[in-house]
Amino acid sequence: MNSRLSRTALHPLTLFLLSLLVVWELVSRTGAIAPGVLPPASKVFGVLAELLQRPAVWKAIGVTAWAVLVAFLIAVPAGIAIGVFLAENRYWGAVLKPFFYFLFSIPKSIFLPMFILAMGIGIPQKIAYGVFSAIFIVVISISAAVESIRGSHIMVAQCYGATRRQIVAHVYLPSMLPAILETLRLGMIFNFTGVILAEMYVSRTGIGHLIGVWGENFQLPQLLAGIVIVSAAAVIFNEVVRAFEKKYGHWRTE
Amino acid sequence: MTSRAIQQTTIDVNSVAQQKAAIHVNNVTLAYKSSNSDSVVALDNVSCSIESGKFVVLIGPSGCGKSSLLMMMAGLRHPTQGEISCNGKPVTGPDPDRVGVVFQEANLYPWLNAQKNVEFPLMLKKIPAKERSERALEVLDLVGLAKFAKSFPHELSGGMKQRVSIARGLVHHPGVLLMDEPFAALDEQTRLTMGDELLRIWQRTKQTLVFVTHSLTEAVYLADEIIVMSARPGRIAETIPIPLPRPRTMDMMSTEVFGQLRGRIWRLIRDA
Repeated sequence: MNSRLSRTALHPLTLFLLSLLVVWELVSRTGAIAPGVLPPASKVFGVLAELLQRPAVWKAIGVTAWAVLVAFLIAVPAGIAIGVFLAENRYWGAVLKPFFYFLFSIPKSIFLPMFILAMGIGIPQKIAYGVFSAIFIVVISISAAVESIRGSHIMVAQCYGATRRQIVAHVYLPSMLPAILETLRLGMIFNFTGVILAEMYVSRTGIGHLIGVWGENFQLPQLLAGIVIVSAAAVIFNEVVRAFEKKYGHWRTE
Repeated sequence: MTSRAIQQTTIDVNSVAQQKAAIHVNNVTLAYKSSNSDSVVALDNVSCSIESGKFVVLIGPSGCGKSSLLMMMAGLRHPTQGEISCNGKPVTGPDPDRVGVVFQEANLYPWLNAQKNVEFPLMLKKIPAKERSERALEVLDLVGLAKFAKSFPHELSGGMKQRVSIARGLVHHPGVLLMDEPFAALDEQTRLTMGDELLRIWQRTKQTLVFVTHSLTEAVYLADEIIVMSARPGRIAETIPIPLPRPRTMDMMSTEVFGQLRGRIWRLIRDA
């Protein structure tokens, strides 16, 4: 259906982005929104192109990407392990789950000053805070995913002689795959938010730091260009994982 | 390919079926703790014998333990006392080589297509992919679903899903197929068709079939022998042979003999 649409008219996404840019340009140029508050799109993208030629900007992007990646690689496997443990172990689940639910409900940003006091500013603190921001949603989604595995699916495997390992590999994992992909997405959103927030709060480098500085100095075109960079990275990651979700979760239509 | 495949199935199953009585249940008692920790006796000193190659139906009121008995035959539950043997060997746990199981719900894996679902028991045994797919297609053909091998469960009707589940139960060529109210979740028309379909499959494979049901008509129509159970505690009330000739036809349902058998079983269940 998508391909038919794209042949007869503009792809819906292209249409959306084009309209957004046109409206943005117009409201700024006509003064509907003061250009001091919202510079025109053309100007912002011009600044963006110029920023992307500066090595310092690339270095900042690299620092942020590194912190986000490491935090993600810690938070997701650790969160999955804890989530599975809490779902599989009734006693420890009952003891520790409330802790994860309580912490999940608290805005993580109030803990940021403690991270800075404990770890200073720099990559380790950003990573730690990224992990802290993401791990609760991972633990909670994964433990819900384990609990939603149907007992009858396990029983069928048992009745055909499956070992514990085979049940994990052939029932648990495929049952959980769509939930795991969804968790990757959510984990990344929270983790990315955590790292950027840490950079904006106090930091020496990183794209979050640059955005914070541009904001304080009223450098609106630069600020908006920074927003475009961060948004593009987040949206691309999200869409890639969503494509996998569609591919491997098709049976969820049941 | 079709007729050869079926011959092959028949031979494999026969070689197992020739080893005399398929299932012996010896003085089996099943008790469990209820939620208020009283001990509930689900089955009380039950003994029965299921002859090789026969179609045996277990029937009885809710709570008579017929499904529990079947689950113990499958090795999925363990008797509190007594023992069950299958082809002369005691049942200690699930043994897919001897016993295939079909549940009330088809319980197919939604992420696997029909063929992969049928291959599942073979995959667990690490049988090579080529042999797996040949054997899966063979039994899918037997249940009349060769064309739907690549379909996913959500694309199949209730009756078709249950056929895939039967094919999965048969793919190991087990001597015994245990079926726990397999058609209970289907509508009446599908249920009747599935009964005929099952008889057709059974007449080709000639394996021992133990079938749990609530339906009197289904029981009389399908069975060689009906084991009627009573509830609280679960006991065997009577074993009734069904002398109707085979192949069974829908016309038999309106005969006097059919009605009498049905009435007799109903009275046994009601008075139990």
